[in-house]
Amino acid sequence: MVENRPLADLVSHAILILGVAIVAFPVYLALVASSSDPTTIANGQLGLLPEGHLFENYWKVLFEGTERSTKQPMIVPLFNSLVMALIISTGKIAISLISAFAIIYFRFPFRHTAFWVIFITLMLPVEVRIYPTYKIVADLGLLNTYAGLTIPLIASATATLLFRQFFMTVPDELLEASKIDGAGPWMFFKDTLLPLSMTSIAAMFVIQFIYGWNQYLWPLLITTSDDMQTIVIGIQKMLYVTDALTEWQLAMATTILAMLPPVVVVVLMQKLFVKGLTETEK
Amino acid sequence: MAEVALSAVGKIYAGSVPAVKDITFAVPDGGFCVLVGPSGCGKSTLLRMIAGLETITMGEVSIGNRVVNRVEPMDRDIAMVFQNYALYPHMSVYDNMAYGLRNRKTPEPEIAARVAEAARILELEPYLKRRPRELSGGQRQRVAMGRAIVRKPQVFLFDEPLSNLDAKLRGAMRVEIKKLQRQLGVTAIYVTHDQLEAMTLADMLVVMNQGVVEQIGDPLTLYERPATTFVAQFIGAPPMNMIELSPGAAPPPGLDGVQSLPVPPAGALLGIRPEHLAVSADGEPPITDRPGDVDLDLTIDAVEAVGAETYLHGRLGGVGQSFTAREHGKMLLPPGTTRRFIARREHLHLFDAATGRRIEARS
Amino acid sequence: MEKRSYFAGRLLPYALLAPQLLVTIIFFYVPAVQAVYQSFLLQDAFGISTQFVWFENYQLLFADHAYYQAMSVTAVFSILVTALALSIALLLAVQADKNLKGAGVYKTLLIWPYAVAPVVAGVLWLFMFQPSLGTLARGLHELDVDWNPYLNSGDALTLVVLAAAWKQISYNFLFFLAGLQAIPKSLIEAAAIDGAQPMRRFWTIIFPLLSPTAFYLLTVNIVYVFFDTFGIIHAVTNGGPAGATTTLVYKVFNDGRAGGDLGGSAAQSVILMAIVIGLTAFQFRFIERKVNY
Repeated sequence: MVENRPLADLVSHAILILGVAIVAFPVYLALVASSSDPTTIANGQLGLLPEGHLFENYWKVLFEGTERSTKQPMIVPLFNSLVMALIISTGKIAISLISAFAIIYFRFPFRHTAFWVIFITLMLPVEVRIYPTYKIVADLGLLNTYAGLTIPLIASATATLLFRQFFMTVPDELLEASKIDGAGPWMFFKDTLLPLSMTSIAAMFVIQFIYGWNQYLWPLLITTSDDMQTIVIGIQKMLYVTDALTEWQLAMATTILAMLPPVVVVVLMQKLFVKGLTETEK
Repeated sequence: MAEVALSAVGKIYAGSVPAVKDITFAVPDGGFCVLVGPSGCGKSTLLRMIAGLETITMGEVSIGNRVVNRVEPMDRDIAMVFQNYALYPHMSVYDNMAYGLRNRKTPEPEIAARVAEAARILELEPYLKRRPRELSGGQRQRVAMGRAIVRKPQVFLFDEPLSNLDAKLRGAMRVEIKKLQRQLGVTAIYVTHDQLEAMTLADMLVVMNQGVVEQIGDPLTLYERPATTFVAQFIGAPPMNMIELSPGAAPPPGLDGVQSLPVPPAGALLGIRPEHLAVSADGEPPITDRPGDVDLDLTIDAVEAVGAETYLHGRLGGVGQSFTAREHGKMLLPPGTTRRFIARREHLHLFDAATGRRIEARS
Repeated sequence: MEKRSYFAGRLLPYALLAPQLLVTIIFFYVPAVQAVYQSFLLQDAFGISTQFVWFENYQLLFADHAYYQAMSVTAVFSILVTALALSIALLLAVQADKNLKGAGVYKTLLIWPYAVAPVVAGVLWLFMFQPSLGTLARGLHELDVDWNPYLNSGDALTLVVLAAAWKQISYNFLFFLAGLQAIPKSLIEAAAIDGAQPMRRFWTIIFPLLSPTAFYLLTVNIVYVFFDTFGIIHAVTNGGPAGATTTLVYKVFNDGRAGGDLGGSAAQSVILMAIVIGLTAFQFRFIERKVNY
């Protein structure tokens, strides 16, 4: 429009920069804290510029652990989080792909029932059935195992719905052509459907990786032993020593470590992330 | 009502080639001007500059003797019909038409009266309470028209308003738009890429190509005396046949009677419209050659009969350039037949091969 | 859901569905049913005997002052976080939708907090506002603001609201931006020609067309506040002080674990389930309306 309003544009830039600043400031401060030494923080003298203890703090958190609270090197929880996020995301994608395939490309009794059974789980977040689920996992002897940590979170209506929706948009002619070419269900799935679904799968992976990595309540209940802990739980444990003794520089280093992998995934795979988010949750 | 005048108007997007260059013309009050050209020729950009949706980087646009370069769209006293109609999906037909009046603080009784009038003219009365999504394409198009006419603007701007309709409806709406514009006596500027639409609607046709004006004039002048090869081939369907002539050289086999044409040193293009290639039907007396006429021996390789007329596609001298001829009625020549076609001297168009400009033939 | 052609196969589809259904039934349906069943049971303090008591757990719950407090905390928390996160996100999305230089960079810089775990968000904000050493808390003290989220309920709630809203801005921003970009540009141009000033254009054209997105986000944000903010509360305030930040979900967790009141906790779970089902149904009604536009 002719409305050439440099002033309006300037205001927009200002608002956006302010927004970015608000969003980034807490993380920046955490970074500064993770480069500082304990006395500076404890005395309330932390400034706004990084200090020189960055490497030392991260080394300590990763391989030595805190001195007062958990005393546990964070490399193990970091690894556990990675395993959990990967199992949950790939597991969700795998079982959702095949169940969506069954629902779309086959006709069988109770097909609609099966769909609804999966669909309704949207309304049952883990928080509303937390203790009974815990009990089942305990009875199965899966406490403090990767299986117990991940399998109950693997069933996902969201992923199934996304793949179902995507399969619906695949032209019927493709299946008809494959059948004429003599392909059975497995061949069609492997040679046609999977390659076509690659972007959807990647987008789903980004979303579910973040979901898996950021799980909190479930690992909090399921893992009691230190070597099964996830990084997100590790932070909380570090905080709850007597307050004054919290080693904040280490806690903040852990915080940065805990957010780094999912944030990197989002930034690097921004397009897929946006696609995954806007397509699944509608 | 107002005249719309453009003087040396141009548009350059930052860091790129000009989209529109040095355009000057004036649409008289109440005139119907059509901007026509292939996609990307700058016609829509030009229209959007007149509307105030794009800034004018060079030259001046004035509406009713007022320079409007820095005037907001809402203050230019114009109305615009968009290609996708741009109807507000959350408003009823009535509210769509009333919106512009409400923004201008028109009293509600007057709004009601004007909307009722527009609805009557456009036969939209039964649909006033509906939402756009409940209307057919043609009805939506009429609502877009209604939104324009309730405002009683000085100028109507149309940006390919019929291109989303099917062919039949397009023809009907074309007639309606023309009637409406006459009836209201409002100045109109209309953008299209469809030369048939352009020819039938325009009092004044502006043919654009690559950001510049190729020719301005009334449709029949452009048809009869195209100023450039571009206009010659853009206006008229099927397009004008063109054949290259070199000075001094012998004409290609099958082509007679071109020796006397004033071919410039750089060479020329001879243009003949398909409807001007005459051939005598079987059983009719042969057409007689007159001095200055051009003869072409075409060997037919395809025949398309559409009922009222027949398109004959043939090669000059059997192997040379393809020509299309358009004949009245049925003329089902079997492929492979060779016939002599005659183009009258008054139907020949000659263009300079170097500049593409028309060479005024012998008077 | 119908394809024109499909594969024949009797057992294969069941085999393909089996993993999903198995996990769903074992870890979703069985526990959900057990939660309902347990909500009718009363356990003694030592877990030795259980008794079927019908709705007694529910009666106790609705007689409990603490439960009403959790309800009102959840309501206030939801309203504040949703209002804050939605309005800030909308403001930012409207700016980012303009044809500004560097719009893409702003987008990247605004969306990454989505990837931050709620508990991490909580710890980041706690660190800034930790009463004795937090950078911003010191600032508040210098302004003579008496700030202590460990002791003051209002301060505690403010802190968790800020952390929760901070994290949710990116999600809302993305959806608002997508919603804005889905509005045809010609509509805005038509409105400009129709004489609507920028502000009026926003309120009469853009905002109504954005309302389906806004409704969708409203329910998503409420669900987020109900469930996902558990980590923030658990890490930052532990529900305190004096229950000032104990939400319904936190209370389920706390009563079931620390309190050992499994029946009461189960009854609360059942009520939560009802709330989620209500919210989901609400959301689907609006999505249907959106499709109609």
